[in-house]
Amino acid sequence: MKILIIEDELSLNTSITQYLSSAYVCESVYTYKDALDKIDRYDYDCIVLDIMLPDGSGLKLLEYLKADRKTDGVIIVSAKDSLDDKLHGLKLGADDYLTKPFHLSELSMRVEAIIRRRNMNGHSTIIAGNLVMEMHEKSAVINGKSLELTQKEFQLLLYFAVNKNKVLSKNAIAQHLWGDDMDFAENYDFIYTHIKNIRRKMMQAGGEDCIRSLYGMGYKLQVK
Amino acid sequence: MKLLAKYNRVNILVTILIFLLGNVAFYCMLRFILMRQLDKTLHGEEQEIEGYVQQHRQLPDIQNTKEQWITIQQTNYPPAKPFIKSSLQFNEHKQEDEWIRQLIFPLAIEAKSYTITVSKSQMETEDMIQIIIALTISMIGLILLANYIVNRKVISRTWMSFYATIASIKTYRASSKQPLQLPKDKVDEFSILNTGLNEMTARIHHDYSTLKTFTENAAHEMQTPVAVIRSKIDVLLQNNLWDEKSAEQLLGIEQSINKLAKLHQSLLLLARLENRQFVTNEEIRFDKILEDKIAEKTDLLHSKEIELYKDIKETVLLFHPHLAEILVNNLLSNVIRYTPKGGRINVELSPGFFSVSNTAVNGALDENKIFQRFYKRSENAEGTGLGLAIVNEICSIAGFPIQYRYHDKLHQFTIQFSNENKL
Repeated sequence: MKILIIEDELSLNTSITQYLSSAYVCESVYTYKDALDKIDRYDYDCIVLDIMLPDGSGLKLLEYLKADRKTDGVIIVSAKDSLDDKLHGLKLGADDYLTKPFHLSELSMRVEAIIRRRNMNGHSTIIAGNLVMEMHEKSAVINGKSLELTQKEFQLLLYFAVNKNKVLSKNAIAQHLWGDDMDFAENYDFIYTHIKNIRRKMMQAGGEDCIRSLYGMGYKLQVK
Repeated sequence: MKLLAKYNRVNILVTILIFLLGNVAFYCMLRFILMRQLDKTLHGEEQEIEGYVQQHRQLPDIQNTKEQWITIQQTNYPPAKPFIKSSLQFNEHKQEDEWIRQLIFPLAIEAKSYTITVSKSQMETEDMIQIIIALTISMIGLILLANYIVNRKVISRTWMSFYATIASIKTYRASSKQPLQLPKDKVDEFSILNTGLNEMTARIHHDYSTLKTFTENAAHEMQTPVAVIRSKIDVLLQNNLWDEKSAEQLLGIEQSINKLAKLHQSLLLLARLENRQFVTNEEIRFDKILEDKIAEKTDLLHSKEIELYKDIKETVLLFHPHLAEILVNNLLSNVIRYTPKGGRINVELSPGFFSVSNTAVNGALDENKIFQRFYKRSENAEGTGLGLAIVNEICSIAGFPIQYRYHDKLHQFTIQFSNENKL
């Protein structure tokens, strides 16, 4: 899986590349010109595209891609979060739109979804160790035994599975599950409850307890 | 009161007063002149009789008419000198009462004394005065009427440009794309007004757009470093060498950056709301949005053991879907945040209004402050202090009046849906 990261902010570009590198082959460029060059020469499974580049607009790149009938998936990351910009970007053929600042785990989730939609021809399983998650049926199977999960628990486990072996901060989890709207400390209690339930269900199904808590910072799904 | 009406009131009052005074004076003068004329005629008669008596030493033959007649009376006590009087008497010639002017004078022929009365009807004089007065009054009426019509037509037309100016000012917003461009007017005063307003709005417009650009740029510039910090934290978290102490520090940084991001997002939204960048003309099912938001908050409500009573009727509004979501979310979040554990929340929605009330802890809130930015009910409150300010701004964009009320130990927020937005 190859991903192109087009982001002019050096620091952010490095972070994204670093984070996504564990799952994908990442290439990063910082300017419109370099991006155009890369797009012309190679095909990517997904392109992470910043709209505001110093020497051109990311939207132009998007138009170029679509005009050239490239099948690369595109996710726009932008500082602009107005609805109009979002709609405009999606209309031009972007697959998703993420507003800065975002959690890298959220970006990884969205990138994964785009790639899954584009490449798997309807196949949609996510595998993390012994855990197999089927997107269409919203089912999770561990060691061949299926787990009875609530909707929120499924969402949470999927988030872990996509970001396997990554520490997810409580805040990133809260934002993923409840959106930006909720900012209460109470959220952290729900997360704890949901994780406790998932752990219990996984162990009941004969799986090992692979969700680790890290000093109150967050949790991670550890798989080999 | 309109300027024209005020001016007219004074104008007409003064005009009528002057005309009345003039009329009275005119009447007195006219009467005086006509009476003198009448008296002259009477004196003429007297001289004629005296002349005849001096010449012929006998009384003349008297020719009486309807209008003038002479009576001669022999008497031992004639008046000392001639005098004139007016009195209401019965006129035998006309068979009716009328005002009669009489000249009474003594006359002596040889040893005999006579009192001679020359009478003349005042009718003609009175008639004349009446006609003249009537004419004058109708003239006054005509002048007033003409004045009124002229004022209405001409002055109204002149003031039309003034009202046009007022209408433009009323709809003018500093956030509109163009400063005011009011036309020149034939009337100098209005031209001065329009030019002054044009210059003023141009200045306001310039200042406003400078400020707006600054705010937008500042906000966007801030967004990138916040994004960088957040991504760095996410990467740092993956570091396997954490000990508990530094994990705590990192968590503190993360929470602050989240708060900053949230704050920043709210401020940007407020700026966009103030710029009126949203058009509220989309048909939305407000009840569905409300139900969805309540469903999202179920976890939270359970954990705080809050009882939620709802009475939601189907409500279709002309609104902006995104704004409606923010409105409902902010209001609900706020209410849930300040409801004590085990408290109660009532949500009521009907096509006319939307109301949310909750158990109050510390009595009524300051009505003037709750919608202000960064107003927090307590120092350690978790929110950004912008939630209700955003609600208020959205309501003002949609033209929905929002009201806070405290009763029966409940805080109640009520939003009235205006008629134009109902379907």
